Amino acid sequence: MPRAYSRREFLNWIGAAGGSSAVYQASIGLGLIPAVTLAAPMASVTELGSLRRSVVVLGAGLSGLACAYELERAGYTCTVIEASHRIGGRNMTLRSGDIVDEMGHRQVCEFDDHPNLYFNAGPARIPAHHKILLHYCKTLDVPLEVFVNENRHAWVHDSNAFDGQPLRMRAYIADARGFMTELMAKAINQRDFDAPFTDQDAERFFQFLRAYGDLDEKGIYQGSSRAGYQSGGMLVPAVHKTPFDFRKILNHDFWRIKMHWAEGEDQASPMMQAVGGNDNIVRGFTKNLKSPVITNAPVQSIMLRDKAVDVIYNHQGINKRINADYCLNCIPKHLIPGIHNNFPADYLEAMASVKRGKLMKIGLQMSERFWEKQNIYGGISWTDQKIEQIWYPTHGIHDAKGVMLGAYIFNDGTNAEYARLTPVERLATAIEQGSKIHAGYGKYVETGVSVAWHRMNYMMGCTAQWSEEARQRWFERLQRPEGRHYLMGDQISFHAGWQEGALSSAHYVLDDVNQRVQAELKGNATNA
Amino acid sequence: MQRTHRRASTCWLAYLSAILSSTASAVPEIVAAPEGLRQCVVCHGVELTGNRSVDAPNLSVLSTWYIERQLLNYKRGLRAPHGSTDDLIGREMQPMAAALDDESIVSVLAFAERVPERAALVTMMGDVARGAKLYTSCAACHGVNGEGNQSLSAPRLSGQSDWYLARQLENYQTGARGAEPGDIWGAQMRASVAMLSDEDDIDHVVSYINSLSP
Ligand SMILES: Cc1cc2nc3c(=O)[nH]c(=O)nc-3n(C[C@H](O)[C@H](O)[C@H](O)COP(=O)(O)OP(=O)(O)OC[C@H]3O[C@@H](n4cnc5c(N)ncnc54)[C@H](O)[C@@H]3O)c2cc1C
Ligand code: HEC
Ligand code: HEC
Repeated sequence: MPRAYSRREFLNWIGAAGGSSAVYQASIGLGLIPAVTLAAPMASVTELGSLRRSVVVLGAGLSGLACAYELERAGYTCTVIEASHRIGGRNMTLRSGDIVDEMGHRQVCEFDDHPNLYFNAGPARIPAHHKILLHYCKTLDVPLEVFVNENRHAWVHDSNAFDGQPLRMRAYIADARGFMTELMAKAINQRDFDAPFTDQDAERFFQFLRAYGDLDEKGIYQGSSRAGYQSGGMLVPAVHKTPFDFRKILNHDFWRIKMHWAEGEDQASPMMQAVGGNDNIVRGFTKNLKSPVITNAPVQSIMLRDKAVDVIYNHQGINKRINADYCLNCIPKHLIPGIHNNFPADYLEAMASVKRGKLMKIGLQMSERFWEKQNIYGGISWTDQKIEQIWYPTHGIHDAKGVMLGAYIFNDGTNAEYARLTPVERLATAIEQGSKIHAGYGKYVETGVSVAWHRMNYMMGCTAQWSEEARQRWFERLQRPEGRHYLMGDQISFHAGWQEGALSSAHYVLDDVNQRVQAELKGNATNA
Repeated sequence: MQRTHRRASTCWLAYLSAILSSTASAVPEIVAAPEGLRQCVVCHGVELTGNRSVDAPNLSVLSTWYIERQLLNYKRGLRAPHGSTDDLIGREMQPMAAALDDESIVSVLAFAERVPERAALVTMMGDVARGAKLYTSCAACHGVNGEGNQSLSAPRLSGQSDWYLARQLENYQTGARGAEPGDIWGAQMRASVAMLSDEDDIDHVVSYINSLSP
C-alpha cells in the first residue's frame, strides 16, 4: 500500500522543485485556491443625458485616448492635448519618412515605402490575456495576427561559450533537458534520491523524465530529434546531432533568463500584433473619436481650482486655456515638475519617487530576408553582447526585404551608454555585434533607425521604475486623484511597460470619475 | 449610424462653446519657448525653471552672456565633450547644444531674457554659518549676494537649484568639468574649489548660497 502524502507535502515538494508559480498552478488544480473571476473589464461610464461635464485629457497616450473615447460616448465634452507632432505616445510604428524626435538627434526613417517595411519601436507583443487591450482591438476593428515571440530555430549566442559560436535554440534546449533528466533519472534509479514518493510515484516520475528529456528506456540521453537533425530525415534516414558537452551548456548564459523568457506571464505563446503595425491600435481610437486631439500643443500649466482644473497649453505660438471639470493626465510623471502647477508638495514628492526607465530598439532594413534561408521565421535570437536581442519580423514572410530589430536593450548601463552615441555610431556597433551571429550581416543593411526612449522628446523615459519602498509609500497616493486631477497611464499601474497597464489605469480613472459625477447628480437631485 | 451622427454634432457644438468660453477669459502670461526650441523646456521646465527629475538646472536666473558661453562650451567640446565618460549628466545636455546654430543661440538668449526669474526650491540643509565662512572666498568673483560678475565671467549662483550647484562643485573637483584644455574660466573654478576640502563643505557652502538673494 503506497504511503499517502498530504496535498500540503506534495505542494511543498513541487515548490522546492518548481518555485512558487508551480505551487500556484498546482493549487488551482487541486482546488485550494479559487480561480480568479475577472471583474467586468470594460469601463462603463453612465450616460450624462442632458447634463454637461467637461474633461481635458493631457497626453494622447493610449490611456488618454481610451478615456476620451469612453467619456465622449457617455456625453462628456472632451479635449485631448498632445505636445508631440504625433498621436500615440510610446505606441509608435516607424515607416518610410517618419520622424524620430529624439533629443539632440532627430532622425528620419528611411525605410522603403512598402507596407511590410516597418517596425514597432514601442509595443510589439500583445499577450492573449490582456483583456482590455484585446477588447479595444476587437471593438475598434483593429485586425490582429499571431506574433512569433519564441522561435526554436533562432540562435543563442554567448561570446564566452562554445568558442563564441551561435547554437540553435532547439538544440540547446533539447540537450540541456536531456542531460538534466538523465541525471535525475539516475538518481531515482540509484535510490539516493530522497524523493517523498511511493514506488509507483517514482516510476511515474521516471517516465515523466523520459518524456521530458527524450531519454531512452534506460533513462540515458542519446541525443534527440528535438535538437534538429544533423542530416537526412526525408529520403535517407535521419542522423541525430551529437549532443553538446553538458559542461559547455552550463557555461553558456542562455539558461539564466533567456531560455525561460517565453514562459513569462506576459511572454507566453501565442502572442499577437496588429496587422500592418501596432500603431493601428492608436488609429483605431482616433478613427472613432469625435473629440478634438490637438497635437503640437505642449501643456504649460496645470492649476487645481475649486471643482475644476485650469490647463494652459501652447498651440502655434499662442497660449490657450481650458477650464474643465476634470483633468486626466498621462504625461510622464518626471516631466510634470517642469510644468507650472499648484500641486501639493507630497503629490510632487510621490512623482519624484518613481524613477524613469530606459529602453532602446534599433530597426534595420535588410536587403534580403537571409534569416529565412536559415529556417528562421519570426522570433528572437539572443546574445550576451550589448545588443541583447535580434528580432526577425513575423510579417512579410518571403517578401524581398524585411525590417529586423538589430538590438533591443534592457540593460540600464548599456542604454545610458548607447543614448550617448550618435545614431550612426549606434548602427555601426549593432551591425558589428550582429555579425557575430550572422556572418556578413552588414552587407544586408540598407538603412536603420534607433529609438532611445529615455531620450525621446516629451518622453525622456520608459517603463516607470517603482522601488518596493516607493510602491508602499506612494502608489495609492498617485493613483488617487488630487482634487479633480488624475495622474494615469502605465506609470500608475503594476504593469509599467505594457499597454494593458495603461488601459487598466485609464479604466480605474473612468470608474472614479463616473462615480463622482453620479454622486454629484444624486446630491443635486436630493437638494432639488 | 444616425445615432453616431447626432452625437457627433452635439459634441462639436459643446466643443465650440468650450473654445469660445476659453478665449473669453484672459490667459495668464507664460513665456512660451519659440518654435525650434521647445525641447529646451521639456527638460528645463516651462519658463526654464529647472526639473530635478531629469537633472536639468534652473536657467531662469542666469545671464545671457553666461548661457551663451556654456552653450558654446558644450558645442566646442570644452564641457562634456562627445565620447567623454566623466560628466555623464553633462552629456545629456551636450547634444542639445551641439545641434544649435548661431541663429538658434540668438533665439535661446532672447527667450532666456524674456522668462521671469524664479528661484529654485531649496532642498539642501547644510550648516549655513560654516557655509558663510567658506563663501567669503567665492564672493570675490561671484559677488557677496551670489549675483555673479560679468567682468570676471563668474555666473550668478543665487536662486540656482542647489543640487545642481553641488554637482558642479563636485565636477570641478574631479575634473569632470573645467579640465579640458582651453576652458580658461572652468580652470579658474577648478582652482577655487580646492578650498572646499572637507567632505561636507559643498553642503555648507551651497546651503549658504541658498540663503542669498541679490
Ligand atoms: C520599447 C518599448 C516596448 C514596449 N513593448 C510593449 C509590448 O510589447 N506590449 C505592450 O502592451 N506594451 C509595450 N510597451 C508599453 C506601451 O507602449 C505603453 O504601456 C503605453 O503605450 C503607454 O501609454 P500611456 O497612456 O501610459 O502613455 P504614453 O504613451 O507614455 O503617453 C504620454 C503622452 O504624453 C505626451 N506629453 C508629454 N509631455 C506633454 C506635455 N507637456 N503636454 C502634452 N502632452 C505631453 C507624450 O507626448 C505622450 O504622447 C512598450 C513600450 C516601449 C517604449
Ligand atoms: C534632455 C534634457 C535637456 C534638454 C532637452 C536641454 N537640456 Fe540643457 N541641460 C540639461 C542638463 C541635465 C543640464 C545639466 C548638466 C550638468 O549637470 O552638468 C543642462 C545644462 C544646461 C546649461 C548650463 C547651465 C549652467 O548653469 O551652466 C544650459 C545653458 C542649458 N542647459 C541650455 C539648454 C538649452 C538652450 C536647451 C535647448 C536648446 C537645452 N538646454 C535643452 C538637460 C537638457
Ligand atoms: C577666481 C574667480 C572665482 C572664484 C574665487 C570662484 N568662482 Fe565659481 N566660477 C567662476 C567662473 C569664471 C565660473 C564659470 C566657469 C565656466 O564658464 O565654465 C564659475 C562657475 C561656478 C559654478 C558653476 C555654475 C553653473 O551655473 O554651472 C559654481 C557652482 C561655482 N562657480 C561656485 C563657486 C564657489 C562655491 C566658489 C567658492 C568656493 C567659487 N565658485 C569661487 C569663478 C570663480
